[in-house]
Amino acid sequence: MSVSREEVLKIAQLAELHVEEDRLPELAEQMSRILDYVAQLAGQTSETAKPFIPGPDALRFRVDEVKPSPLAFGPDTFAPEFRDGLFLVPKLGQFGDDTGESE
Amino acid sequence: MSDPNEALVNAKAVAERITKTRRLNACLTPPKELRASLVQQAAMAHPSGVLYGMPVGVKDNICTLEFTTTCGSRILEGYRSPYEATAVARLKTAGALIAGKSNCDEFAMGSSTEHSAYGRAVHPLDKARVPGGSSGGSAALVAAGVVPAALGSETGGSVRQPASFCGIVGIKPTYGRVSRYGLVAFGSSLDQIGVFGRSVHDAARVLSVISGRDARDTTCEDRDPLRLPTVPESLQGFVIGVPREYFPTDLDPGVRRACDQAIRMMRDLGAAIREVSLPHTAYAVPTYYIIAPAEASSNLARYDGARYGPRFNGSTDVRALYRETRGQGFGAEVRRRILVGTYVLSSGYYDAYYRKAQQMRSLIAQDFRNVFDRGVDLLFTPTTPTPAFKAGEKITDPVAMYLSDIFTVTANLAGLPALSLPIGRIKGLPVGGQLIGQAFLEDEMLEAAYALERVVPAAGEV
Repeated sequence: MSVSREEVLKIAQLAELHVEEDRLPELAEQMSRILDYVAQLAGQTSETAKPFIPGPDALRFRVDEVKPSPLAFGPDTFAPEFRDGLFLVPKLGQFGDDTGESE
Repeated sequence: MSDPNEALVNAKAVAERITKTRRLNACLTPPKELRASLVQQAAMAHPSGVLYGMPVGVKDNICTLEFTTTCGSRILEGYRSPYEATAVARLKTAGALIAGKSNCDEFAMGSSTEHSAYGRAVHPLDKARVPGGSSGGSAALVAAGVVPAALGSETGGSVRQPASFCGIVGIKPTYGRVSRYGLVAFGSSLDQIGVFGRSVHDAARVLSVISGRDARDTTCEDRDPLRLPTVPESLQGFVIGVPREYFPTDLDPGVRRACDQAIRMMRDLGAAIREVSLPHTAYAVPTYYIIAPAEASSNLARYDGARYGPRFNGSTDVRALYRETRGQGFGAEVRRRILVGTYVLSSGYYDAYYRKAQQMRSLIAQDFRNVFDRGVDLLFTPTTPTPAFKAGEKITDPVAMYLSDIFTVTANLAGLPALSLPIGRIKGLPVGGQLIGQAFLEDEMLEAAYALERVVPAAGEV
């Protein structure tokens, strides 16, 4: 499995991690080696095997699903500014600024 | 009731020993700050506590009120936790003295301490070698006689591997035996606080104090603290399994000789020795290196420069701030694991990697259950494939470094208790033998360790 320079950049973006340009070839090579190594699991497991869950029996994962937020009022009713499902807040470093502009 | 001056005497003595052994780079707390805190702690310690006056080192990823908690990382440089770990609070209630924060690989990711942002710790017996990791600072302090016991943490062997390298005892309890409250999260389904000691008894005493239910950690079992077993006269009635997968043909010959000697001694003590098989062992390291980075990539998302530690300024927007802070604050190994973790969890790869690893983890845990269901009480294996390696030997090859955990990760994946104790030396370097027990049966594991410790020539050449 070969990880390209572009893939490393994309993953770094998802992980909110700055990666220096000159480190990319080495990172791509090391990630490829690691992913090659862990890929030996392919074909070794039974699809019927259930994932292992550690910890007390009383503690079990909830179903991974998005549920509506049980708010009595929509967020637009109490947010100072709200657009397209997003809260609008002052730009970082502009709190306390007299301009009151938001973005 | 102990001598009420004992704690103060111990506090001053340990502060002096830490100053004298600074070349080990095992303790991250500055000596002056440490001495002042120890003297203050000694004045507060209650002489009726079961660990009264005992100095205990604490790995730098376990939260303390007295000292900073940096996790060996620049991203948490100077961070002071507003609360302390349950394990630390229990040590203090028992009268122990928190003897500073010990060096470790950054966020406990590593097997040598070479990934600490504050420089590697030095092996007490050979300065060219590593003490193991990630809890290498704690192990070095105990091995050098600076403290009788120390806390470490385990995600894939980070207590047992350095214990083996340094010739001391290291115990990883069952997942859920010790509260994780205040242990900085790395791989939450694997992490456990563990204990180092100069002897099985020292380590077990500390484990007993820190174990037991804690409402602040839902993954901590609702159980009483561990009761210490008595030292047995023999191992009569014990069935000890020796899994063939842990003795590959390329195992270091010295490690094999030390293990063979220990097995002979357990047989002489009356134990029945049975060869067993754990067929999925070969897949444990790849399984671990999918699950642990995946969990780490999620757990470490909180370090973004907005909430903890230093912030790297000069960013034009908030996402650039996150990226710069994380890019500059994390070291190479942590960045690598975050990237691998993000990759295996990303859309299109989740089933191929993470789901497969979770299924394999089940099969590995089932291997252990099968063996224990057939009447085996404990398993005995080498702790590591080789004695301590030289600094720099594996630093550029992450997979080679990962393979030094090959005999320890299985117990973490299955959530089982395990310990390492010294069973001999090769050219002066310690070799560790590992006992793996059944979940929450640490007492049986400790009994066998007590018995073996009494007869095995831990400092003898094999």
